[in-house]
Amino acid sequence: MKWLWLCTALLAALAAAIVLGPASVPLSDLVHSPIVRELRVPRALLGLLVGGSLGLAGASLQSLVRNPLADPFLLGLSGGAGLGAVLAIALHLGGPWAIPLAAFAGALIALGLVFRLGLVGGAELDPRILLLGGVAVGAFCGAVMTAIVSLAEASELRNAYLWLWGGLSGASWDTLRVIALCLPIPVLVLLAAARPLDLLALGEEPARHLGADVRAVKRRVYLAASFLTAVSVAVAGVIGFVGLIVPHLGRALVGGRHLRLLPASFLAGGTLLVLADTLARTVVAPRELPVGIVTALVGVPLFAVLLRRWTAY
Amino acid sequence: MGRWAHRTHVAGRLAALLGVACHGAARQQAAGPLALSDDAGRQVRLAGPARRVVSLAPSITELLFAIGAGGQVVGRTVYDQYPPAALQVPAVGDGLNPSVEAIVARHPDLVLLYRSAHTDAAAQQLERLGVPTLVVRHDGLADIARTARLLGRATGQDSGGETVGRSIDSLLAQPLPPVRTRLAYVVWDSPPIVIGAGSFLDELARRAGAANVFHDITTPSATVSLETIVARDPDWIAVVRDSAGDTPPAWSRRPEWRAVRAVRDGRFLLLPADLFGQPSARASAAIATFLELLSHRPLTTGHQPP
Repeated sequence: MKWLWLCTALLAALAAAIVLGPASVPLSDLVHSPIVRELRVPRALLGLLVGGSLGLAGASLQSLVRNPLADPFLLGLSGGAGLGAVLAIALHLGGPWAIPLAAFAGALIALGLVFRLGLVGGAELDPRILLLGGVAVGAFCGAVMTAIVSLAEASELRNAYLWLWGGLSGASWDTLRVIALCLPIPVLVLLAAARPLDLLALGEEPARHLGADVRAVKRRVYLAASFLTAVSVAVAGVIGFVGLIVPHLGRALVGGRHLRLLPASFLAGGTLLVLADTLARTVVAPRELPVGIVTALVGVPLFAVLLRRWTAY
Repeated sequence: MGRWAHRTHVAGRLAALLGVACHGAARQQAAGPLALSDDAGRQVRLAGPARRVVSLAPSITELLFAIGAGGQVVGRTVYDQYPPAALQVPAVGDGLNPSVEAIVARHPDLVLLYRSAHTDAAAQQLERLGVPTLVVRHDGLADIARTARLLGRATGQDSGGETVGRSIDSLLAQPLPPVRTRLAYVVWDSPPIVIGAGSFLDELARRAGAANVFHDITTPSATVSLETIVARDPDWIAVVRDSAGDTPPAWSRRPEWRAVRAVRDGRFLLLPADLFGQPSARASAAIATFLELLSHRPLTTGHQPP
């Protein structure tokens, strides 16, 4: 029943994203309109995949570091991606894909640094060290980025921050093809880790006694979730809040077992982002709101209701 | 590199010329205190015409040079580009987050700021240190005429300010040409940011016979959806940029932008930033450049203006 509800919500959100928009497209033209075919459909699907990735990555990382406040961007990736993007603009790297590629490279470097920090002194991805390492790497990248933006004279750099706030305006069938190639492996790795993640929720020692290869699972989950986040940030910038709040929505809907929680987080994340983006495009048309603002505006009330239910348990 | 060397060479010669001009002008300065009101609605009293002026906006610097007060400018922002002579003046910071210390070190008797939330605080700080400030805001053509006259009075270059003011007034008095084509200014591609009404660029385009398809947006710039640009279907995409050359911007090769007809057809108006990047007294020259760029290829008038 809950699954039916989740899927219906997702389909409704996708339908709304395709039918609604700042430009008026009559329903009869829906199939033939280039606005729908080239812009709305890819954008809705990109929202589904990016929102789903962030939800899935958030749920996995929250279980990995056993902290309900964990967010895919808490592990330094947004800082790395931002620094990459700003460098690409400052160095005038040409080509239509320069900024997404540079952001992806920056996110991967930050991912590698935090991963390495997480292994220092045999720490084996100790959650505390991962979180602190992520915050430190993110802050460092942020500082370098701000220094470049304030010292360089290129007027384009003043707009670099806009890119960082995130959005789905870069959606096209090409973007979708790239992301569709990148997603399956990390998604499968995370889904395959559902059972060990259940054990890990009991604590590392008990999980080890119950037969989980804790070391390998942690590494796999960390790398796959971070890779998903890096792909998302490269195509859509830093869209806040989805990765933090969606896993909690998922837990409230289907419980804490990862075999159900992970797919539910993917569906809920996709639904929330597609819905938020539709609102962002239409509410103040012809202007557009940054989608990160709308995810928070839609997400926080839901979250507040959830918190009330939790405290009632 | 070559372009830069050329610039500084010209700058030196222009500075020499302007120095002479200002020397002559200094004699006509009226002595005695001045009472001025600025765009922040403040009454500012000066002991006399300012002789050491720090300008905290590129457009203010340009206007000061245009009215013949260039020789009195002792500080500018790092973003200043025009006139070349202005680059000889020491820079005191980025203008929007002014470094009060660097400004005071130039011993100004007047600091000119572009009105914004950031600069209001700096203006108050400077006033407390005993440095008089004028806060101005010139976004459209009529504002430029008004500001030119205000700066003229503040620097004792009344006739220079009046000349610039009058040239803008006569431009404004001309009837608007009929709309022959429609354009959208794209400032940034992802998310798409366009120029709305209430901007210098919107006015320039209209006076060159091109209607801005985002004239209904009242703020100077705004984020819009790509599909809005597709739906409004401008004949041209206008881009203001620092670099020379006639290659279209890199983002025009991104697949989602191909949905815009003007992008597919390569109809870009590449506007040089030193002429179009800021509101300036060279509006007539900018309009002439605009008309020339529009005439490079036949204009299409597929749609009636809104």
